[in-house]
Amino acid sequence: MAITTADAEPLPDTNGNTTAPGLVPGEASMWFFILGDLLIFGVYFVCYMVYRGEHAGLFLQSQRHLDQGIGMSNTVVLLTSSLFVALGTEAARAGKAARATRLVGIAFACGAVFPILKLVEWLPKLGAGITPGENLFFMFYYLMTGLHLVHVLLGLVILGFVLRSLRSASTPNMKFIETGGIYWHMVDLLWLLLFALFYLIR
Amino acid sequence: MNAYLRNPLTYVWALLTVVTVISWWISQGADGGFQTNRMVTLGVLMIAALKVHLVMRYFMEVRRAPTWLKRTTFGWLMLLFCLLCGFGLAYA
Repeated sequence: MAITTADAEPLPDTNGNTTAPGLVPGEASMWFFILGDLLIFGVYFVCYMVYRGEHAGLFLQSQRHLDQGIGMSNTVVLLTSSLFVALGTEAARAGKAARATRLVGIAFACGAVFPILKLVEWLPKLGAGITPGENLFFMFYYLMTGLHLVHVLLGLVILGFVLRSLRSASTPNMKFIETGGIYWHMVDLLWLLLFALFYLIR
Repeated sequence: MNAYLRNPLTYVWALLTVVTVISWWISQGADGGFQTNRMVTLGVLMIAALKVHLVMRYFMEVRRAPTWLKRTTFGWLMLLFCLLCGFGLAYA
């Protein structure tokens, strides 16, 4: 079954081999947004590392207060969600809309766990008086994980639209599904770095 | 179900999960882990860079994207990795 992209470019096969080589996955405009976002977060990551170098003791002491279990769980949750989005994209490309809907639905459910765990992590801290004003580490921690959480929430809205598109269209709108997918993977990717920088490095 | 288990994307996910556990294990390290430790920082950053590379390449399908996108994303990752290592390992 030949599925066409928005450019009416025939795709070579239905085995998940996707966008013909040399074509940008999803909308090019989304890639410019993503590259901009990666750049901005990259600057934050480097700033965090510079300050960490100057206040190594303070950062290490503050890291003790983070819940490693929740950090790990959230990493696995986002990786799993990303996998299901990628599998869903393949299924949609193969013309299997019902299967794609199921897979993206699972991805959405996994993704929805992330903000819940974030609240479970934040609320006891805030209750114990550990706020962004506590010290430099927690200023970075709340700012960057908060900014990331906004990305997660936006990603969930986008996945919701992908689901709606999969349910309503007779043939999947691949450009739209791929575009939503790469945004969601970027959210995953940023968390992988946040997890390493806030929870794991010593 | 079997088709999903045999899917290369599932292997990538399994690898990502395994190295996540390894990086957590490295970070727990000696002495309960809350000591300055350059080797731990380096190991964790290398694993994080590998994970980001895998997500970009397989999940975001950059491996099939135009060369400019491959180079830009890989260049961003390498630059970030070098800067993080540089500043992360510089402290006394």
